[in-house]
Parts: sequence; structure tokens; C-alpha cells
Amino acid sequence: MTLLLDIATTAAVLFIVASGLLAIFGVLKIINFAHGAWLTVGAYCSVLIAHWGLNPWLSLPFAFLVGAALGALTERLIVKPLYRRPLDAILATWGLGIVIGQLITLWFGRDVQMTPNLMSGTVGFLGVDYSAYRLFAVVAALAVGIGFTFLLDGTRLGLSARAVIMNESLARALGIDTGNVRLLTFVIGTGLAGLAGALLTPLTSVDPNMGVAWLIGAFMLVMVAGSSFGALAVACLLFGGAQVLVSTFLNPVLGGVTIAVLCALVLRLNPKGFARG
Amino acid sequence: MKNRAILTALAGLLLSTAAFAQSGEAIKIGVPVGLSGANSVVAPSVVQSSQLAVDEINAAGGVLGRPLALEIADDASGAAGAQRAFDSLVYQKSVNVIISMETSAARNAGLPIIAKGNVPYIYTSFYEGRSCNKNLFVDAWVPEQQVPPIVDNFMKAAKAKKFYLIGSDYSFGRGMLQFSRAYIEKSGGTVVGEDYLPMDGSDWTAIVSKLKASGAEAIITSTAGGAPNVTLTKQLKAAGVNLPYGNLAVDEGTAKGMGKDAAGIYISASYVTSIDSPANQKFLKAMADKFGKDLKTPNDLSVPQYEAIYLYKAAVEKAKSTDTAAVVAALPGVSFEGPRGVISMSKQHHAPLTMYLGQVGDDGGVKVVDTFKDVDPGAQCPNL
Repeated sequence: MTLLLDIATTAAVLFIVASGLLAIFGVLKIINFAHGAWLTVGAYCSVLIAHWGLNPWLSLPFAFLVGAALGALTERLIVKPLYRRPLDAILATWGLGIVIGQLITLWFGRDVQMTPNLMSGTVGFLGVDYSAYRLFAVVAALAVGIGFTFLLDGTRLGLSARAVIMNESLARALGIDTGNVRLLTFVIGTGLAGLAGALLTPLTSVDPNMGVAWLIGAFMLVMVAGSSFGALAVACLLFGGAQVLVSTFLNPVLGGVTIAVLCALVLRLNPKGFARG
Repeated sequence: MKNRAILTALAGLLLSTAAFAQSGEAIKIGVPVGLSGANSVVAPSVVQSSQLAVDEINAAGGVLGRPLALEIADDASGAAGAQRAFDSLVYQKSVNVIISMETSAARNAGLPIIAKGNVPYIYTSFYEGRSCNKNLFVDAWVPEQQVPPIVDNFMKAAKAKKFYLIGSDYSFGRGMLQFSRAYIEKSGGTVVGEDYLPMDGSDWTAIVSKLKASGAEAIITSTAGGAPNVTLTKQLKAAGVNLPYGNLAVDEGTAKGMGKDAAGIYISASYVTSIDSPANQKFLKAMADKFGKDLKTPNDLSVPQYEAIYLYKAAVEKAKSTDTAAVVAALPGVSFEGPRGVISMSKQHHAPLTMYLGQVGDDGGVKVVDTFKDVDPGAQCPNL
């Protein structure tokens, strides 16, 4: 039972972390290597909220807003000219990630920062005592997933975004302001990354390099998932599950590389990953 | 940046000491230390305590009438940086001695250089033990001194027999737990699990679940300092693990920062700020007076550094020379009463130390629950 919960919660955490990256990659075909930095920014939002003595739950909307606002700036100033040069965009966002990391170091110092827990202790769940916060992470992941699906399938923006994914010139010819769609998508992606950072704080330490550890895993998962949130959920469950199984039954050191190895294998066998399109 | 500020301040200090120098050329102490990288959190406190020792000694007339001067170099907390730092200290700055707190990787990289350049080297960081070289001396603890207080206490006070060991996958983490396992088994306990995560790993989920299922009665962890330690402690707390928990890698400062998450953790150290001795009170006051609001809390790494500089002074005075062979011959025979008590590197180049078993309180402060007098470092270097 504990094992199933471990798998579900690990997948949920991975999903939360990767969703912002997927939002940007899926629509814009831009690989946002500054994703780790936005995660870190989100986590430091929790540090600020704690520093100001506010309710820790406020850090979630605050981190989303800060991530979104900085994302808007980035899109206009850095990413916009690079949509046709995705390789340069990788370099630019990678560089941006380094700059953000250094700014955070300058501001807050290198040390590990502490934040108050959103939820502590355990709850009895189907007969086992399990960490309350990890169970909450599953709820949060479902909320993010359902919210995004609704956004894509149920709103005008979603319709436009899907139009941009399928055929951008046609979308523009039909009068869709593709520039705005891109801006909004990018902003939502970085906002989600910020939110993910704040959601991670009770599970990890907050330090200037915390995002890097998550970036590679998230990146691999998104490569496999393509542009579909459903595929991302499946990928997180499968690979996150594999990571937990390997860590439990073989060796946690091997568990750490499971996701990367499996993703590489999947992409080797089927270059499209799990995406049908 | 902070490091640069420290270096600039230090350069100023060197100039000012040179200005009112005692007669004779300065005795140069090389301090390669991790101003950047993993040790960057603790390195500034080590630099500060070195400065205090040098200032105090110079104000009292120096050593053999010569002033001491510090040469600080950044070893980037690793082997490659340490090679550069040792090279430049030994061959360009021609230091008389190297006294430093460093990572094990940095120490191992520096050893061939001090052997070839024939410079005495006092290592002031606790480490996994058994590093031997005729020029190397250590005044900090080894596993033989740190682990027994925790294991003995858990077996006696908590009646724990089954231990679970968790660590980061690197030489210090594995070395400490390997010793812990041997000591637990020798003392009649059993190890029901031993697991490692890579140094940058942050997801302890599977290990925590295995721990909960194992029926363990006590936990001992030895992670890399900083992030892995914090993530593991948080995740243990979140999973509702309430076993006696000995942490071999947490220090007072980190415990304070972690607040409630660290409450209840046992630590074993040769220095805690609350040691109630005149020497420690005097040291803490001198540090506070000298550095004011910039003071980095003195700790189990910065205090051995302070004492090592005094031990070197004693050895030079005994040898009546800074000649390496004479100083190395004198070092095992000298002692110094510092904040941690009387320190003498008399056991195969290692030092018997009084160890304190502390427990972190709800406010993050460390309360000493037991004291172990003059714990022997054991046979570290029988062939020296």
C-alpha cells in the first residue's frame, strides 16, 4: 500500500514540476531551460512570504503571480525574437537560468533557506500512516492537470492555442493574434513553474541551485510526453513508478537515474514518445 | 560578493599587520579553504577564527619574535581547486605551514603537494579517518570519536537494538556509516537497513518508506551538509518518523535554521557554543568584539582551526625554528588549552577529544545531554 502511495505521490510531484515546462514546449516548441530557475524563484517566494510573516498558503498564488510577471518580461525581451531559432532559445534560456540563479545568490546568499511547512504530520489513509503533504501533492497535481485541460479544451484561449500548435500561419491568417497567444502561454508556463517551486518547499531544501536537480527529470518527461498533458500524466506515473520501484527493491542510487535512462530508451524506440500527433 | 569582501578585508589586515611588524620576516600560514562550492557556507567562519588567532598572537609579540601572516586561497571545495591552491601556496607564496579545514577530496589532492614541497599541514576538519602522511596532523574528530556517543546513548537510554543507516553517496557519508555499522554490531545491535542517495539527490521517498517498514528503533544519518541533510530531515518529519535520530552531518547553525524540523535530533560534536569553560567564554567574547554583526557563529570546524594555529605556534617555539622537520617532530608533544579544552595531537598525529552529545530543542538550540571525556581516536596511523 505504502508503495502504491509512494508511486502516486512521486508521480504527482513530477507532474507538478513538469507541467510548466510542457505548457511552453507543447505550444511554443521552445525548450525553456530557465525552468529550473523559475522553480527556484517560486520557492524563494515562499521564503519571502515567511519572512513577511504571512500565511504560508499565500505563497502559492504569490509564486504563480511572480513567476507569471517575470515570465511576461522574459517573453517580450528575450524569447520573442527567438521563436524561429529554437536552438538559440535553448542557449538564451539556459543563460537566463544562470543569471537568475546568481541574482538569487546575491540577494539571499548561498545558504539553504528554511520555510514553514504548509502541512505537517501524517494521516491514516487506507490503513497506512502517510505524509499529509504528499497526499496533498496528488490533489494539487490533479488540480493543475484538470485546470489546464479545461483551459485548453474549454476556453477561447485554448482553442487559439491549439490552432497555433497545428498550423501557425493558418491561425494567423484567420485573425488569431498569435503573438498574444504565445505571450499568454509563456506566462502560464512560468507561472506554473513558480507555483511548482512553492509547492516543492515542504519536500526539499530551498537553495539557489535547487531547480537544477529537477530540470533534467522534467525535461526528459516532457520530451517523452510531447505536447499532451494526458501523455505527461502517463509518463509521470510510469517513470515515477519505475523510479520508486528501483529505489525500493534495487538501489536508491540507481533509482536516481531511472527516469533519464527510461526516457532515453523510449525515445530511441519511438522518437515521438507517447505523443500520438 | 561576500567572498570578495572577506578577501579585501583580509588583504587590508595583512597590510596593517605588516606595518607594525615585529622584527623579522613574517611566518606565513597558508589557508586553502572552500570559499566557493560546497564548503562556502562554513568557510567564512573558518577565515574569521584564523584571523582572530593570528591577531591575538601578533598582539602578544608573535612567534619567536616574528609576526604571523595569513595567506588565504580558495580551493573551490574540491580536488582540482585544491591542487591549484596548494601549488600556489607552497611554491609561489612559500608558506611555512598549511592549516586548513577542507573537504576530504581537497585534502587528498593537497597531500602529494605538501609531501613534495615538504611543508607541515594541520588539517582542522572532522573527516572519515585514516589519512596518514608524515607531515599531516589532525586536531578534529574521526568516526571513532563521533559515532560511539550516539550509538551508546541510543542503546542505553532508548534501549534501541535495531538501527537504520541513511547517507549521501560519497566517501565521508559511506565512511561514517561503515564505521557506525561495525560499531553497532560490535556493541550487540543490528543494522536492519543501509541506504544511500547521490549527493544531489533530494527525493528520499523510497528510503523513508523502507525505513518505516523495517522495524528500526533508531536512525543514524550521514549526508552531505546543506541541502541533502535538510531534505532528508524534512521528509522524515513529514512521514511521521519519531525514532531516536542521530545526525552525523548537522551542526548547530544548520539546526537553528531548520527550526522545528530539526527538533529532537541528536548531534555529536567536539565543540558546541554552550561549552561552559573560561577559555570558551573568552574566545566567544573576542570573536564577538572583533567581528560584531558580521560574526559567523563559531562551530566545530572554525574552532579547531583557531586551536591549530596556536598548536603550530607552540610547536615552532618548542622547535625554536620553522624548519619543517623540527616542527613536525615537535607537534605531537605540544598542547594548547582552547575553547574545546586541552588539545594535543599526540595519538598517531590525531587528537584525543572530549565529545558532546547534544539534542536539538524546539527553538533550534542545542542542549548538551551527555559529555564523553577525552575520547581516543584509535589507531589511525599505526605505521607513522
